Amino acid sequence: MKTPHRLRANTGTVAPFLFILTLPFLTLPPLAGAQGESVCVQCHAAQSGRGAIPVKPWRESIHAANGISCSDCHGGDPKDAANAMNPAHGFLGAPQEVQIPSFCGRCHVGIKEDYLQSAHGRALGKGGPTCVTCHGSHEVKKAELELINEKSCSRCHSYDRAARIKAAMQETEGMIVAADRKIHGFRKLGIETDAYEKGLYSTRNRYHRLFHDVDTARIVAESARIRGEVARLNGSLGVIDEALRKRKLAGGAAVGLALLAGIGCYLLKKTYD
Amino acid sequence: MPLFKKLFDWLEVRIGVRELAEKELTSYLLPRTINVWYSMGSILLAIFALQVVTGILLMVYYVPDADKAFKSVTAIMNEVPFGWLIRLCHAVGSNMMVLILLFHMFSVLFMGSYKSPRELNWLSGFILFNLVLGISLTGYLLPWSQLSFWATTVATNSVGAIPYVGGYLTEFLRGGKLVGPPTLGRFFALHVALLPLLIASVVAIHLFLLERIGVSSPPFGQENSANRWEGDRFRYEDHPGGIPFFPNYLLQDMTSIFVYLAFFFAVVFFAPSIFFPFDAFSPANPFQTPAHIKPEWYFLANYQTLKLFPNEFIGLMVQGVAMTFLAVLPFLDRGKERHPLKRPLFMLCAIGGIALYLALMIWGHYS
Amino acid sequence: METRSRRTFLAVCLGGIGAAAACLTTYPLIRYLAPRQGEAARKKVAIPSAEVPEGGAKFFEFDGSTAVLIRKKGGDIVALSAVCTHLGCIVQWQKENEQFLCPCHGGLYTADGAVVSGPPPKPLEKIPFVLNGGSILVG
Repeated sequence: MKTPHRLRANTGTVAPFLFILTLPFLTLPPLAGAQGESVCVQCHAAQSGRGAIPVKPWRESIHAANGISCSDCHGGDPKDAANAMNPAHGFLGAPQEVQIPSFCGRCHVGIKEDYLQSAHGRALGKGGPTCVTCHGSHEVKKAELELINEKSCSRCHSYDRAARIKAAMQETEGMIVAADRKIHGFRKLGIETDAYEKGLYSTRNRYHRLFHDVDTARIVAESARIRGEVARLNGSLGVIDEALRKRKLAGGAAVGLALLAGIGCYLLKKTYD
Repeated sequence: MPLFKKLFDWLEVRIGVRELAEKELTSYLLPRTINVWYSMGSILLAIFALQVVTGILLMVYYVPDADKAFKSVTAIMNEVPFGWLIRLCHAVGSNMMVLILLFHMFSVLFMGSYKSPRELNWLSGFILFNLVLGISLTGYLLPWSQLSFWATTVATNSVGAIPYVGGYLTEFLRGGKLVGPPTLGRFFALHVALLPLLIASVVAIHLFLLERIGVSSPPFGQENSANRWEGDRFRYEDHPGGIPFFPNYLLQDMTSIFVYLAFFFAVVFFAPSIFFPFDAFSPANPFQTPAHIKPEWYFLANYQTLKLFPNEFIGLMVQGVAMTFLAVLPFLDRGKERHPLKRPLFMLCAIGGIALYLALMIWGHYS
Repeated sequence: METRSRRTFLAVCLGGIGAAAACLTTYPLIRYLAPRQGEAARKKVAIPSAEVPEGGAKFFEFDGSTAVLIRKKGGDIVALSAVCTHLGCIVQWQKENEQFLCPCHGGLYTADGAVVSGPPPKPLEKIPFVLNGGSILVG
């Protein structure tokens, strides 16, 4: 009868100690709010009219994914609600149609250059397409070959030439996408892929720029050269593939050996039962 | 083996190894009904040894400096021959240690082995569980990747929810207002020096208690599975007519360890990326919170619990209460019965608790 | 007797497995700890001085990537990696204002590679070089 009493006393002294002990290790708050939203999004998301439209598409865009926020394009002060749209604080608003290429071209310098020299760029302000005609504005996604499609191109002209350009790009684009996927897989294994990633990014960027020229002959010629570059990259990636294959072989041996040892021990144990 | 015999005799006449071996190995008898779950502890010892060895090897090339840590880990993974293997073994091993620890705890729970007189075994084991979580958390920061940086930011942030002292406590843990180079210094010291020492000492206490009190018999396959401890005086729980530890149960331990190793190598060589989110291989960037960052799987339930409560402090309290309840379980659960099927209330709570833990983990993963 | 011989057989097998495992762990361990052969020195590239006029830039292949040599208006020579530190595009030399511009996202660097504006997180990597008579030896 004495024992339970003693034990109860124990509980009282141990419990608070443990509570403190376990606290710091076992608690994690949610991450939401770790990165504050700009006043632009706070206010616009709450609106009901036109003003709210850009928020959702932007959130799903490649710009949002890379931390490019409203003020990075439209200017203004994203931290001060009162002056967020004050021109004195650098607010630019939305560009006029003819200003769109220079609006986007502040960051996408090279693309702007090529675009302005192309048939598309020369028709700027005379019914020609701007950046957003094909890429959209707030909803902008990573550029893919699918941007060239009959529905989109035939808004202005016949699809024939665009189809030829797309066909010329198809194989090269496929190679680039495949190499990109492979690099991504390597990276997940802790393989240092930085140089490959940057090399491929540069190649892809040059390749996508090329398209803005809308010059089929040049695209066909340059595509061959770029395919050569990607093929060279694939060569280096193949070396890694080979090394990974060897690792798997060694891994198979290690697993097999451990299993054999386990079976051996088990059988040896059986002889003593 | 004359040489071996000579060495044995040389030791025998000096320190009496024969008697020692007899007492601890061949005449150390275990219950006949002992099962495979009793070898979890041995697996854990093997994992801990492997972690120590791979950890020391990693320290050969690792540089605990915020500017160089990520580069040094990348070099270990890419340039040092077999560095990838050592690193993967260490990283996968830490996850496995938590996993097997959970198995160990569940088996002790279900077989009622924590009951009197083994309250201290349970308590020391529970402390070990916390220390292992602590060493996992501190080790997580060392590669200085996006993942480690932000996971540590989040983990240390939570302490801030404690009233009054929370803010200072967070700063104290981090060694500054934000996670930064000072945090790396203290986490490194904790991870490679203090926590391993603490774990080794508590393991020693845990084993001493096991040795002193005696191994519990499994509640299965007996007519009377009730706890036989009377509590009037100290009695070593012996198992006359049982099986010897050496060679019988040692071989069972070895079998379990090798089966574990096979599983472990399968993960290390064929699916290491299950424990590495994409952000694990980008260098830490204090100015950019990565999207969708999640804590390690063993903290997911805690993470989800905190999200469920509107007030962080309440969320913390709930977890603290749950952990404290688990810690003092042997003092609260005083029933004599040890067979799980004869303890319906316990089974209900245990299965409900595990289901809740898993549900929160899965919810946390997909939320 | 039968148990006995089975035991011996199993013990021998386990010994063999143990020896194999020991070899399989020792080899990587030794390789891991062995001093590494000095990384093969990066291949040096010689560029004739005449190819880099004052204010001009010369892009060339170096160490599996692209590098650039420029001669500033004062006559100083700088050798840099031409790979933008943002996403890896090749920067362009802008003669008029002596700056590097990345065509991908408008990253701007000084002639010495320091970031002026735009997304690049780090300056362009400097590459050592020596003047050797009529040529510039990079690397």
